[in-house]
Amino acid sequence: MAGMKSHINRRDFIKLSGALSAGLLTPRLMRNLTTISQAGRGQNVLIIVFDALSAMNISFYGYGRKTTPNLAKLSEKAVVYHNHFAGGNFTSPGTASLLTGTHPWTHRAFQPGSRVADAVEAQNIFNVFQGYYRIAYTHNGWAYILLRQFRKYMDELVPQQKLFLESYDDFIHTLFYNDDDISGLAWARNIDNGEGYSYSLFLSHFYEAIQNRGIEGLKKRFPRGIPSTYSSDKNVFLLEQAVDWIGNRLTVVPKPFLGYFHFLPPHEPYRTSIDFYGHFANDGFHPLDKPVDVFAGAKADNNLIQIRTEYDEYILYADQAFGELYQSLERTGLLENTWVIFTSDHGEMFERGLVGHGNPTMYQPLIRVPLLIFEPGRETGENIYAPTSAIDILPTFLHLTGRKVPAWVEGAILPPYSGSSPDPNRDIYVMTAKKNGQFQPFTNASMALVRGNHKLVHCFGYPDTQGDILQLFDIQSDPEELNNLYLSKPDVAQVLFDVLRAKLTEINQPYV
Amino acid sequence: MNPISSSAVFASALIKGFILKNILNTIASRYTKQGLWSLFLMCVFPQHLWTLILVFRDMSWLIERTNVWDAIGDAGYAMVFAFFESLIVFCVFVLVGFITPGRWEVNRRIAFLTLLLFIASIWGMVAQLLYLWNIWLPWPLMQFIASTGRPLVMLYILSLAIVVPTVFLPVYAFVKSKKALHNMLEIMDRLSTLSMLYLFFDLVGLVIVIIRNV
Repeated sequence: MAGMKSHINRRDFIKLSGALSAGLLTPRLMRNLTTISQAGRGQNVLIIVFDALSAMNISFYGYGRKTTPNLAKLSEKAVVYHNHFAGGNFTSPGTASLLTGTHPWTHRAFQPGSRVADAVEAQNIFNVFQGYYRIAYTHNGWAYILLRQFRKYMDELVPQQKLFLESYDDFIHTLFYNDDDISGLAWARNIDNGEGYSYSLFLSHFYEAIQNRGIEGLKKRFPRGIPSTYSSDKNVFLLEQAVDWIGNRLTVVPKPFLGYFHFLPPHEPYRTSIDFYGHFANDGFHPLDKPVDVFAGAKADNNLIQIRTEYDEYILYADQAFGELYQSLERTGLLENTWVIFTSDHGEMFERGLVGHGNPTMYQPLIRVPLLIFEPGRETGENIYAPTSAIDILPTFLHLTGRKVPAWVEGAILPPYSGSSPDPNRDIYVMTAKKNGQFQPFTNASMALVRGNHKLVHCFGYPDTQGDILQLFDIQSDPEELNNLYLSKPDVAQVLFDVLRAKLTEINQPYV
Repeated sequence: MNPISSSAVFASALIKGFILKNILNTIASRYTKQGLWSLFLMCVFPQHLWTLILVFRDMSWLIERTNVWDAIGDAGYAMVFAFFESLIVFCVFVLVGFITPGRWEVNRRIAFLTLLLFIASIWGMVAQLLYLWNIWLPWPLMQFIASTGRPLVMLYILSLAIVVPTVFLPVYAFVKSKKALHNMLEIMDRLSTLSMLYLFFDLVGLVIVIIRNV
């Protein structure tokens, strides 16, 4: 099994650990042009993902801070989903579910930086949109691993480094073209001081100095540091520049297109621009006090309010960028024929002693993400309160573009496009299993089942906890999840637990 | 080619030749071939030692997540990169040698440059080890630095206060003591053997890189 894991992760692991400009791959711009021209004048589909954006921190979903003024305004002419859930609580499962329309137990990308299983690799949004010009980009290394895996089903995967500033690593990929994975990894380990150490004793410092000189002028605009994929100044980027580039690119790519653009903000490090720096400082906002979670343990962070504020200010930066992108699409006329989907791969939390994401919990800030659909020509808003999932996006847009939804898709067509009223008791699953073997039964995982107003959470196999953790929340009447109803509502808890247990048995069956 | 441009090319070549000759003469006035080779071997030593330590540190997780051949490939590239870094460091230290007293004999100059190189290398390693071992300044000291109002300047002053003695004390000892020169030359002699081994690794690394790229 270890061999299988190694095989599957190899290239992508290399990309991630080296933080490479792995892409440097010739865009296959000209490929499939014939096919595309035969596709007729279908509508474009543009998926915009802002990483780690929790619905719980968005003003029009009820947050106490006005973090998304642009989005709030635009939401007046969008379909807004109020109970939308990610596939997992960190990038790999969250993004994979979005891109494949399947649950983590099917695509198996639930470990950090993992790829989907080879057996289901062809089951992805790019493959089912054949005939479209399929273009994708992400700042996020783990999302890039997935995009790299699906590259053969795309027409253009924009290299990750393309939208980073001051990167001089390209020559390595040119020089060692036939071995760009390992040469790039070795180069990064050799020269990149981003982690604080490198094989090089001296040159890495000069290299860093040269890079820093290139971005020196930007430092004043970003008091907490220039937006970056690292806590250092490696892989820095400007969201506005990325948005400009994408807006321009989309005007010239063949139509119809399927675009998947996955921006890192507001993922940590939270580095907002000077325009929003200090925007929420001393604003009197106080989130509810919540008990420290068992998974926080001794690591409980007492500085949560400050970190939350930095995150909220970073959301403002992301919100502004989305507003600019939307305007650019409007200006160029693309909006008239483009479905725009705004969402996130997972959330972020600053409560119960836990910061960030990817921990074993399944609280709403981690798994409830925004979903807005901007329909061509729509001028009025619509609110959908039925629970929906990231796995629904793929079938919905297949349906909306007149395509057949394949049998392997596990999601459902989203309301109001399904033609029937949404099922309020539909089961929505979210899962995280970072340390579980990729092709082994789930013995160390957290699962959430949302049905109607209730959410049951089952965390099992964690050595730090004494036994399993079971939580039941009424997310309608108690959206902050202050009251665990598992013991006080045994009938509901039992029904949901039985469903969850049956599902676990079912999904483990092929790996037992 | 017209006569003017050909004479310009000829003149340019003459000038370049003249400059090159002068550079070689200047180097020859300060170094011998054997001395330069010794200095190069000393430049090879710390860089390769550090690279090998980190390569072996990375080896297990690389094998676990990719395969043995990729891990070997990483090591191969690392050795080749280390070789080039050694060459660059060597060039820099050759230049540094020109600010040493002209009356010094070559061995003394080489030993002195080696001493400087080793001090710089040790600090290079220490700086990285602080990250690797997650060592930070004591909290009260951090608070004090922050409270001064000019934390960056204070950090520089503090760094200099620590680094400067580690440079000047050995240098002073070296200049004053004849035994120090003798010891340094002995150390260099022993380390040369290791450096030769590292150069052999570089060659193997180069072969690995070529194989992976053809």
